[in-house]
Amino acid sequence: MGEFKVHRVRFFEYMPSPIRAMAFNSRTDRLAVARGDGAVEIFNFADNYFQEKVIPGQDSRAVEALCWVGQRLFSAGLNGEITEYDLENLRPKYTVMAYGGPAWTLSSNNEGTMLAVGCEDGTVKMFEILEERIQFQRNHDRQKGRIISLSWHPSGTHIAAGMMGMIRIFETETGKQTGLTHDWIWSPANKEVVVWSVAFLSDHTVISGDSAGKVQVWDGFTGTLIKTHLITKWDVLALSVSQDQSSLVAGTSEGTVTQFQFLPLIVGQQDKEWVRTRTFKNHSHDVRALAHTETAVVSGGMDTQLVVQPLLDRVEKNTQESALRKIAFPHRSLVCCAKKSGLLLFQFPEHLELWRLGESDGHGKPGDSLPVRKKPEKLIHLKRKGEDHICCSALSPCGGWLAYTTVSSNLKFLLPSPSSSLQLPKLPKELCSAHQLCFSSDSSKLFASSKHSSVIVVALGQSECKYLHTLKPKSGCEIHIYNLNKLKVCLNSVFFIFVTLFGLSLLYLCHVGVMQQFDCDPCLQLHCTVPVYSSCPTAIAIHPVTSNLVTVHANQQIFEYSLAQKEYTEWSRKLQKQGLHNLWLERDTPITHISFNPNNQAHIILHDMFMLCIIDQSLPLPDRKTLLYNQMTLRSVPESERLRHSHAFKICKNFQHLLCVSTLEDQALVVVERPLLDIMSQLPAPVRQKKFAT
Amino acid sequence: TAARLFLPVLWSYSTHLPSHCGGARHGVAKTDTEKQTEDTTMVFESSDDEAPEEVTFDASRTEALRSMKQALDTARREKELLKEKRRKRQELFQEQKKIKLLSDDVLEEMDSASSNLKGNYRVATVKVVGALASSQQQAAEDFIQSRLYGAGSCRTTNNELLSLQNKTGRNKGAAVQFVKKDWACKQKAKAEKLKKRWIHKQHIPSC
Repeated sequence: MGEFKVHRVRFFEYMPSPIRAMAFNSRTDRLAVARGDGAVEIFNFADNYFQEKVIPGQDSRAVEALCWVGQRLFSAGLNGEITEYDLENLRPKYTVMAYGGPAWTLSSNNEGTMLAVGCEDGTVKMFEILEERIQFQRNHDRQKGRIISLSWHPSGTHIAAGMMGMIRIFETETGKQTGLTHDWIWSPANKEVVVWSVAFLSDHTVISGDSAGKVQVWDGFTGTLIKTHLITKWDVLALSVSQDQSSLVAGTSEGTVTQFQFLPLIVGQQDKEWVRTRTFKNHSHDVRALAHTETAVVSGGMDTQLVVQPLLDRVEKNTQESALRKIAFPHRSLVCCAKKSGLLLFQFPEHLELWRLGESDGHGKPGDSLPVRKKPEKLIHLKRKGEDHICCSALSPCGGWLAYTTVSSNLKFLLPSPSSSLQLPKLPKELCSAHQLCFSSDSSKLFASSKHSSVIVVALGQSECKYLHTLKPKSGCEIHIYNLNKLKVCLNSVFFIFVTLFGLSLLYLCHVGVMQQFDCDPCLQLHCTVPVYSSCPTAIAIHPVTSNLVTVHANQQIFEYSLAQKEYTEWSRKLQKQGLHNLWLERDTPITHISFNPNNQAHIILHDMFMLCIIDQSLPLPDRKTLLYNQMTLRSVPESERLRHSHAFKICKNFQHLLCVSTLEDQALVVVERPLLDIMSQLPAPVRQKKFAT
Repeated sequence: TAARLFLPVLWSYSTHLPSHCGGARHGVAKTDTEKQTEDTTMVFESSDDEAPEEVTFDASRTEALRSMKQALDTARREKELLKEKRRKRQELFQEQKKIKLLSDDVLEEMDSASSNLKGNYRVATVKVVGALASSQQQAAEDFIQSRLYGAGSCRTTNNELLSLQNKTGRNKGAAVQFVKKDWACKQKAKAEKLKKRWIHKQHIPSC
């Protein structure tokens, strides 16, 4: 496996934000998730639930509801604003004040022409969706209490609104209440019931979930109660109906998700009723948001995890689709490691932390823990300015430069090493609104991805930073590789890759490698484009010595592309021909970082959330029958026979819940861990449940 | 020793009285005359056990005059204070009135807008006053907080939840605070400090 001195870092106190709202777009198979800090994430369900985009949050933007209209995404928040997001440039496009106090809910009709917003002052406000903006059209009759939930009738003629202690139905044409309103004020312990969620079905049935723990089915024509299901002692916080309206899920404070189905009570008869069928318990804390997709129930809540629970009557058994998935960590790296100087940069939404790794001088057997001579030291705690959260940050490999941006502000620079008594360099104007940053490996250039998938190259100098180029890619999901070499510098040429995603947005990846010169391209020429692959790359790196490009995709495939020959390498072809091991393909977290062993060219170091893997290209590939996780068994085999049993994938699960694995120069490895138990211990209070005999 | 004189002793209500005399004033209605005597009694304030001092007539007269003057002074001062208070309130009202009115430049803008309204006019969005919006937002967040975590929500702690899992799960284990040594390290450090302080207070020799 190769021996490393491992820095086991457990001082990154990363704390994800709770999930507040969710919206699924069945046309594009994308799920939008809003978190408590105002960040919006987009997951691609067609591509292994990969987290494609992250729009960083803002202090005041408490997103309470999300809504897709075609390809456009809207949100409403407690700051009373409706925001449309620019999914191409990963930032809010514009905000419109609703002028009704905090906005609690947002819903669009099926045609995607109108947007209804429920406000604190008791009004339902209708906005017309225009090409580039939204425009206020009218208010519905004002109610006494706040409008907590809204649901359109599929035909668009009526809208149901859940409030404090009642549900009202409005005609959307006139904005008047229909004659039928449900008033039911039932208060346990003198507490008014809150209708947290409503669903309006096409047969004019209204289903409500409330703070009394009930899911109630109402007749929308007569306003009478048809059926009550008491499912919890606490609140029913979220409801979601499937597209075909045959199944409904309800999320509760207990962390359970209860499914109801519209079934005939006697087999073969026509009369159908909503029947409670299944209960899933995948959360330890409140479920605040739910989405019912074609095949699965997606839930999220205070425990910050996104859970995809497949419904086994809708998927084939024993396939990848039928496996439960939990997404706990972001699919991008929040840690940046300066290889040469042993510094670590941790990115939080509010601040950055720069740490120097500890040292130890002991020597021990493999598996021993060495005594620490020098403790890790926090060098900088950098608070961001303004309201916007930090969207990206980078640390140069020499440790001399630190850069970060927020959505609205320009790039900020800092020189962590106090020895360089320099003025902070002035930055060119083009650098505003970058959403990914990367330093070249010799720390002389900074790459920043910017608007419309362009990439800006800036030369870092002693006194000033000079804007060099803007690269504009062609559209398509491609990996472009540019040769940024100036002809004067002959020994090394700096290669820079970046990825565009279907011509829409720049992916979070950018990496720079230094490699041998093999082609005297004039500077800034497109060197080559790696063939298109259907799945999105999750990690990319160029080998510093062999100049091979290694990409790992969301569907767990690994490719190696030779930049010298401009074709896939022999090893990659062999891997594709033989196919990856089943257990490798079944892993449910993406590889988020690739690094290389500086002492052994054949070693590629990868990691996902649960494991660290070293791929040894010199060893044979495992076939389908060999044991993939064989490190423990290899230890019991005598030394002489080990080589015969070993294969290319060496997987280590000693370190759990990894955020970053990176190599340092002196045969050392940095492993940044964040155990889920530590995260859980800092969550808000769960409900108290009586367990028998405790 | 001197015979004990049963003089009525008037206590002032200042807080520097000995605590056992706190009940002496109980039930006595507060009148204006009493207010005046309040200052005079300060002089006679003494403990029960002491014998009364001998005071000459002259001295007592000057003393009485002085106390009268003092009382008048306080009355005047109080009046002034009241005046000042009223004046401040008036100012506050005026200030509030000013805030309610639109600022001058907005009015000016409207003026200029109305003059050339025909043809090229523009509509400016008025920003909701930041303080109002944020207070509403805070109220909304408090509402959620009180509904989910407020009184009667029947919540427990993460520690208990995890410990229960350890207890009832397949792999039995101790409560989390014993399994994880770094659990709640701040609280533990605080508890340790308090314990040390307590031991120090009790004068128990540490073993």
